[in-house]
Amino acid sequence: MHRNGFTPDSVVVGRSARMRAVFEFVDVIADSESSVLITGETGTGKELLAHLIHYRSGRRAKPFVPVSCAILSETLIEAELFGHERGAFTGALRDRMGRFEMANGGTIFLDDVDDVPLAMQVKLLRVIQSRTIERLGSEKQIPVDVRIITGSKKDLKQLVGEGKFREDLYYRLNVIPVSLPPLRERREDIPSLVEHFVRRYAHIRGVDPMPLSPSVMDAFMRYPWPGNVRELENACERMVQTCGCNHIRTGCVPSSVLFHAKGALPEAAAPPTGEMAPVSLDERLQEVERSLITWALRSSGGNKSRAAELLKVKRSTLGDRIEKLGITA
Amino acid sequence: MSSRERVQAVIDRVRPLLQADGGDVELVDICGATAKVRFSGNCVGCPAAFVTLHLGLETAVKEELPEIERLVLV
Repeated sequence: MHRNGFTPDSVVVGRSARMRAVFEFVDVIADSESSVLITGETGTGKELLAHLIHYRSGRRAKPFVPVSCAILSETLIEAELFGHERGAFTGALRDRMGRFEMANGGTIFLDDVDDVPLAMQVKLLRVIQSRTIERLGSEKQIPVDVRIITGSKKDLKQLVGEGKFREDLYYRLNVIPVSLPPLRERREDIPSLVEHFVRRYAHIRGVDPMPLSPSVMDAFMRYPWPGNVRELENACERMVQTCGCNHIRTGCVPSSVLFHAKGALPEAAAPPTGEMAPVSLDERLQEVERSLITWALRSSGGNKSRAAELLKVKRSTLGDRIEKLGITA
Repeated sequence: MSSRERVQAVIDRVRPLLQADGGDVELVDICGATAKVRFSGNCVGCPAAFVTLHLGLETAVKEELPEIERLVLV
């Protein structure tokens, strides 16, 4: 569940053209019955967007059921999604409704669908095609009327290419793709998001929203926000909760934001020192590539999207190179 | 670069922000594995700022200079 419960005004549209386009697109697709696949890094607001789509659809009066597929093992996902009959497995003391049944008439949001094991993907595909579920330990077909929205941190198309995600399921889920940009690619939205979160947490604390000094905003605009809006929200909550002087200044900014390591740039590869000894260009280039990628991964704390940004390459390109060079993060 | 210059470089990352907010931080001395710094102006005396600035700066300095073990306020 969204931590503070969903309300339409917990959605901040912001100024960036990319987010405006996303929200306009939501209005277009909300009333359709088609499956939606929301792709975005952690903390970009996939669940909030799914909830907004549900809220704007004709299903708004019915349940919105979010499920994360990340934390659950294969059997657990199955029991969680489809429910079980009493005695289906040890500990199944009574009949239990699965998430699909709970969402009947409404919308189910399957987050982290990229983490669903292959064996489970087949079952999911069957449910999507037949719109019926079977509880574990039962053969009864239960029809469900559910709109399916999925969320993924990774590019599912790429996972299909790697053989980690079923192609047929991918096409079923990806009828309407929506991509949420990371916060660092829409920095112009940071001020309105900060204002929103400061106002919200000041309200919760029962105080007036405190003003922010320009330096605080400056630090916020520079920071790369690997945890995206969720990280920004946490920073704002913390500042509002700990502020003792009714004015948010540099000292209130979380130290991870204030002191974030820029990481020194690696030196360019030194030219060969031997007189006329032959040098393998390919080997040397690989060496440089390896050292730059290792540097970027270290500087980003292992966050590949951020490392790709540091190297000015696409995330998928970086993934390919890492695999090619056999680098372990 | 000497240790002093390198600690100063870390401090200089946040110093302009602090100064703009009516505060300041200066590197007083480095004795062995201890760096001594002084905060002044706004935010001094605020417990939240103490955590952010002292511990944050200590972490950042230790990350870049493993030979520094602690940061003390003087």
